[in-house]
Amino acid sequence: MTAVSLLGRRLPALAETADYSLTIGPCAFEVAPRKFIKTTAYNNQVPGPLLRMRAGAPVTVHVTNQSSNNEVVHWHGLFLPPEVDGAMEEGTPHIAPGASATYTFTPEPAGLRWYHTHVMAGSDMKKGLYSGQFGVLWVEPRESRGRYDEEFFLTLHDWDGTMTSSDDGSMSAVYGVSTINGRTLGFGEPLRVKQGQRVMMHVVNTSATEPHWLALAGHRVRVVALDGNPVPTPTTVEMLHLSPAERISAEVVMDNPGVWVLGEVRKHVQAAGMGIVVEYAGSSGKPKWVQPQTLHWDYLQFGTKPIVESSAELKATMVPLIFESKFAGHGAMDRWMINGKSFPDTETLSLRKGQRYRLVFKNKSRDDHPVHLHRHSFEVRRWNGRETSGILKDTILVSAGKEAEVEFTADRTGLSLFHCHQQDHMDMGFMMLFRCS
Amino acid sequence: MFLTLYPEREILLRDRYRLLLYFAVLALFATAPLRARAQGNYEVQVYGSDTVAPKSTMVELHSNFTPKGSTKTDDGTYPTNHQLHETLEITQGINSWSEVGFYLFTSWQDGHGVQWVGDHIRPRVRVPDSWHWPVGVSVSTEVGYQRSQYSPDTWTWEIRPIVDKSIGRWYLAVNPALERTWHGPDTNQGVGFSPAAKVGYDFTRKISGGVEYYGNFGRVWSFSALHDQQQQLFAVTDLNVSPKWELNFGVGMGATSATDHLIIKAIVGRRFNWGKQSPVD
Repeated sequence: MTAVSLLGRRLPALAETADYSLTIGPCAFEVAPRKFIKTTAYNNQVPGPLLRMRAGAPVTVHVTNQSSNNEVVHWHGLFLPPEVDGAMEEGTPHIAPGASATYTFTPEPAGLRWYHTHVMAGSDMKKGLYSGQFGVLWVEPRESRGRYDEEFFLTLHDWDGTMTSSDDGSMSAVYGVSTINGRTLGFGEPLRVKQGQRVMMHVVNTSATEPHWLALAGHRVRVVALDGNPVPTPTTVEMLHLSPAERISAEVVMDNPGVWVLGEVRKHVQAAGMGIVVEYAGSSGKPKWVQPQTLHWDYLQFGTKPIVESSAELKATMVPLIFESKFAGHGAMDRWMINGKSFPDTETLSLRKGQRYRLVFKNKSRDDHPVHLHRHSFEVRRWNGRETSGILKDTILVSAGKEAEVEFTADRTGLSLFHCHQQDHMDMGFMMLFRCS
Repeated sequence: MFLTLYPEREILLRDRYRLLLYFAVLALFATAPLRARAQGNYEVQVYGSDTVAPKSTMVELHSNFTPKGSTKTDDGTYPTNHQLHETLEITQGINSWSEVGFYLFTSWQDGHGVQWVGDHIRPRVRVPDSWHWPVGVSVSTEVGYQRSQYSPDTWTWEIRPIVDKSIGRWYLAVNPALERTWHGPDTNQGVGFSPAAKVGYDFTRKISGGVEYYGNFGRVWSFSALHDQQQQLFAVTDLNVSPKWELNFGVGMGATSATDHLIIKAIVGRRFNWGKQSPVD
């Protein structure tokens, strides 16, 4: 069952009977001692409240918009109908200032999802994903995937952004502050653990534009899920890499007592605040950081060998999507194009229900693009020239000048939005719609 | 891309006051009742507000040839006609909001050969991006010596506010510079006003064209007569072929009798990064 109802005024009875309530409004929060950031957030907190839902169990979420802008909440990674998915381009109604909406839907699939605003920001670096409108959505599986002694949900975000000319001649965002769960390194409560525990870290990159590299000093982490979906080959790695909107679930065996830093690997980003202290019970002292000297990440280490395609799979319809930019001046953001056109002029791709499609991404631009398909998960089949299978995601990084291929089955009727999850790229036309019928 | 918190910490309140104090001291100097005269065409450039990044050095060669200049000796200085000026500018980034530049001026002219003209030093600070100002702003101050054969005022000082802004394909920059002489005939003549400005347009990502203006009005509050002012207009092009290179070419016309009538200029700059470049920096 899915439904959305828009209310011109808040009806207390509906809000009280909803399973969850979110209020969009102004929020000032402390990221570092005596350093406050003013933003728009859910329930006056950053990140928004952790929403725990159960896969297959219908829920009602009441959203009140006390901000001065039209808003909409996108349930990122869920398989929802377009009227509740949370993208106005698909047909989800916006919530006007002072108005409310009640969303009723059945959360699927299980795993690490998140919710966030899905409005344009343009040059307003306080709007859209530049703001604090994000939160973690955990969909409990019907059957337990394993027990952990501790479970931490971590959101990576960048604040205080400015659009500046970059070396490649285009405008891009730079940030003054970076946080984990809305706090800079050393401020706020540490993650408290005990020796011998198995800890699950669920990490979401909620940044509007920035990829992040994350490592836990003194430990290695075992990646078990990408974008909330279990990977075929859980693998232990030194560091995690998350493009905007990507999620990683990784387990850690706490076998090295002390006080450690879980932080951004790049020095200047950690210096901007992105880090959190991990403190073993009985340990004290200054948090230790062990600086990696290189950056390494490869999606394909979590996949399996490419399957020999059956005749059915050979029927996947190839859909080439070429990403390019159009220069608009050193004092303007580039216009982004898919197959030569910018949204809303991009072609709406007609999909036949039940048909398998292979999206062939060719990034001919100088920027990386974490592209996201709404209402679906796709299987990564090829990345940077190498084949793979078994990795299910809803957002994948297509690096500058590189190619990637993903497959999905068009099994959800209606409109589905496909876009780059960088706010500035999305705002400047990097979107298109798929219509399944 | 990121701003680090290091520069932001460096520019906390205490440092902002220090920066303001620095500006105030420079302004105090500028109010002295002096007059200065223009330097020769050794560095013909309208400054943008950006500074060279830390651990980086910008090396620029300014080449300026005067096909039509003065033909007579003026105040003991050589005529500028057919002079070729080669200026080496080396600018070192200090941190994300300051730099120091050094200049070596030379001149070649038939009959005089290659001559060392002088040297200048130019520290500069800028408003950091984290202040979120709607325009780019920086201030440079330039002090230096030039030989009397090329400038009767041998020791000069300049303060140059720099404001710029990119709007779409358009680029605007203004440098309302003030000059004074520390040693030479104009020592007691007060502060001179030497504005420069630029309007550019991005034809493509790599090719920009525009107009640069350079003037010297004489004393502040008491401008010289028009024919004694220096007024130059350049048609220029900037080639943005790479972040490592800076290329600017132009042809300038002098509009008054005190101005060289025709100048051809070229700036070729190369940026060098120092230290081991690490992906985790």
